Amino acid sequence: MAKYTKGFSIGQSILISTFLIVITSLLVVTIGGFLNFNSTTSGIVESTSKEINKQIILNYENYIDSVINTANYIQRKTVEYGIEDRNDELKDIYIQAADLQQDIVSIVLVDIAGNEVINSSSKNLTDEDITQKRWYYDAISNAAIFHFSSPHTQDIYEDSIEEVITITKLIDFYALGIKHSGVLVIDLNTYNLVKLANTTNLGDQGHIIILNDDNSLIYASNSSCTNNNCESAIIAQDIIIGGQNVTINDLSMYANVNTLKNTRWRIATFINIELVENTRTSNIVFSGTIFVITLSITILVSTIISKRISSPVNKLKDHMQEIQKGNFYNKIALEGQKEIVVLASSFNSMIEEIRELMDTILVEQKEKRKTEFIALQTQINPHFLYNTLDSIVYLSENHMNEEVVEMVVALSKFFRISISRGKNIILLSEELEHARNYLLIQQIRYNKKFTFDFNIDENVKSCKVVKLILQPIIENAIYHGINTEYNEGSIQIRAYEKNKKLYLEVEDDGYGITPEKIQELKAGFKDQSKAKSVGVRNVYQRLQLYYGAESDFIIESELDVKTIIRLIIPIEKEV
Amino acid sequence: MKKMIFVLVMMVTILSGCTKQTPVIPLIIYNEADPYMYEFAQYIIDKAPSEYTVVSYDSQNSQLIQNEFIEDAFKKNSKVVIINPVDRLGAYTIIEKAKSENIPIIFMNREPLKEDLNLWEHAYYVGAPAAHSAVLQSEIIMDLFGIPLNLNELDRNNDNIIQLIILKGEQGHQDAETRTDVVIEELENHGYALEILSIEICDWKTSLAYDIMNELIPRYQDQLELVISNNDAMAIGAIEAMVEHEMFVDIDENGFIDHETDTWIPVVGIDGIADAVDLIKSGYLFGTVLNDSESMAEAIIELATAIINGEDIHNIGYEIIDNKYIWVDYQKYILEEE
Repeated sequence: MAKYTKGFSIGQSILISTFLIVITSLLVVTIGGFLNFNSTTSGIVESTSKEINKQIILNYENYIDSVINTANYIQRKTVEYGIEDRNDELKDIYIQAADLQQDIVSIVLVDIAGNEVINSSSKNLTDEDITQKRWYYDAISNAAIFHFSSPHTQDIYEDSIEEVITITKLIDFYALGIKHSGVLVIDLNTYNLVKLANTTNLGDQGHIIILNDDNSLIYASNSSCTNNNCESAIIAQDIIIGGQNVTINDLSMYANVNTLKNTRWRIATFINIELVENTRTSNIVFSGTIFVITLSITILVSTIISKRISSPVNKLKDHMQEIQKGNFYNKIALEGQKEIVVLASSFNSMIEEIRELMDTILVEQKEKRKTEFIALQTQINPHFLYNTLDSIVYLSENHMNEEVVEMVVALSKFFRISISRGKNIILLSEELEHARNYLLIQQIRYNKKFTFDFNIDENVKSCKVVKLILQPIIENAIYHGINTEYNEGSIQIRAYEKNKKLYLEVEDDGYGITPEKIQELKAGFKDQSKAKSVGVRNVYQRLQLYYGAESDFIIESELDVKTIIRLIIPIEKEV
Repeated sequence: MKKMIFVLVMMVTILSGCTKQTPVIPLIIYNEADPYMYEFAQYIIDKAPSEYTVVSYDSQNSQLIQNEFIEDAFKKNSKVVIINPVDRLGAYTIIEKAKSENIPIIFMNREPLKEDLNLWEHAYYVGAPAAHSAVLQSEIIMDLFGIPLNLNELDRNNDNIIQLIILKGEQGHQDAETRTDVVIEELENHGYALEILSIEICDWKTSLAYDIMNELIPRYQDQLELVISNNDAMAIGAIEAMVEHEMFVDIDENGFIDHETDTWIPVVGIDGIADAVDLIKSGYLFGTVLNDSESMAEAIIELATAIINGEDIHNIGYEIIDNKYIWVDYQKYILEEE
């Protein structure tokens, strides 16, 4: 399962798997139940319908049997009495037989030419040619069987209006000891046919139809079926024999067609199974409703559960992302499952730990930077001091007392500012003073081979700056920017405010620096092994350490014209 | 997951996948209580080749039950259905249905109407010509009674007229009608004078024949010279009744009715079932006409096999008349006098 949930959230996984499990089991149960119910009811409907159909057929069979028994009896007596030459008594047998059975209208024996031999009734036979009658033709066409006609108006007598079914059979009879063939004609009324159809309950609109072998309608118990083109008759013709579910007049029926023994008739029963169908439909609706309700509940519950589980986890996740961004100061407060709460509190204490660790590291880092900073600051002084002291010695030997005094005063001021009671940050005015003292010392040392000029905006003098940032730049300008052999150099120092930043510029008019050289210089700022100028690199590093990205160090140069080194730092004024 | 699917597939396979069985050909018998038909069915089942199995169904003499069997057989799309109809008129509907389902059917023992059989190209009938059995039956009787108008001692009252009872099969069964008519006709045509004491319909059944004979014997005991039965089963019933009324007496008690010395009445049957053959051997039943059910069974199986395999049905070992009929002749069966 896990394989397929890759890429899903916990909530989705829970939702999907619950959903799948529930929908599968629901489907299996509902469909299985429905199919089971369906096949059971279908089986019951089929077997019940078939039983009812059988019962009906048996009733009709018994009826037909009784008619055939009568016919057999007549046939036997006809031969028996004929042989014994008692034909005059035969008429009584015919009359009795006709009277005995309520539905026998008449029993007549005609000879092969269609003339009356024996007649159970007092009515006269029709004048029409009996040999032209369908039932007569049927009888002589096949001697072995009884022939059952379709219902018709009785046509063996004059003026009869009775609706009858004619049963005929070719039999032997004796006249004066000679054997003849004759046709036994028994007319039945439809009384029993109708009675039998009505004795069985086939449900609302359930009905029976009887078809002859040519598919003509012999009888239909429902009044709507008057000929063999009615719906039921067509269905019965189509089925031929057997049973199936059909729909008649929008009612579900089970149609069953069976043969009727000793006749060529087929009886079709149509049994109303609407009730079963309705039950089936309501079963579908019921199952469907249960299905939908259960599914909805499942979705609801699993959504809630998955939310309950996933939302604290999600909070935790968001919180972690927050921490990834560096925010260590929010505590997470979670409610929900035990595990999650424990997880959250462990997480909190872990974050606490990390934060403390980070704070410690931060403090240590600061300390380290401070130490580094001081170390850098202290790097500046020694050789300048040696050089200056050498100059003083030189000046004294040449008895240049005035210059000695000037230099010693400047040096004293220089160191006072340098030390500035251990402060790292001093006023720009002090820094400028420091630069001036330095320039004064150097001017004497270099025998006034250069001039210098300060151009300072009044409003920036009270700005605070990291100390000793101008002196190394100026030192660089003196050493590399002034051609001491030929002409006097000039050094311009400027300080001004621009774009809310403090700009400090040192400009000389020396040889200038080639762009390649500038690149090398800048590389040297970052990598000590490539460093050319210790002092300038020192300034750059201190600016970076103290001001970070807010400071900038720009070198501009035009060869043989001028070089400007520009320091840009944030304005920090004394409050 | 894969394993689960595998298990499911296996389960479905096991549940649904029974081993492939040989095709089943239904043989729907009108009534297995009829010993002749029971024997006949066994011949057919035994002769079926290994490529298919014949399974018999007992319609219990009910066309309704038979209709259900037939409906089932058609629903299962059997390649051919062998039917011994309960009601020969019902065959019409069965043929119509078989035609609509395009299933070949072979009828046996009870011949459907020719017009019905002609409705469906693949409807066949295997049987014996009913008339022929009656001709043979009449020959047995003629041999037994001697020359007409000069009958031998079996004409007990010496009136040169044979006083007889006819036991008829089921009403409406064409064999019953034909056998009865033809045997009388043949005897009369050959100049024998007959006095039919009674024609009784006993529905092919031993028990019914026994009951009816029990009623008739008191009336006709002294007159009766011959019993003609449409089949052996009824003949056996008649003999049982006559033994009770001492019309058969084994005087020397040797378990054999000697036609010279013991008391007996000639009874002639048709079919040649095993019980009848036994009774002939013990002298009770005079003779029968062997309905060669074994050969018929063979013909049915050959025809069915040809149909199933789609072979030309005219290549089988039996001649097919009118593309419909296979006729297997009857044989006389009497005890050879030593």
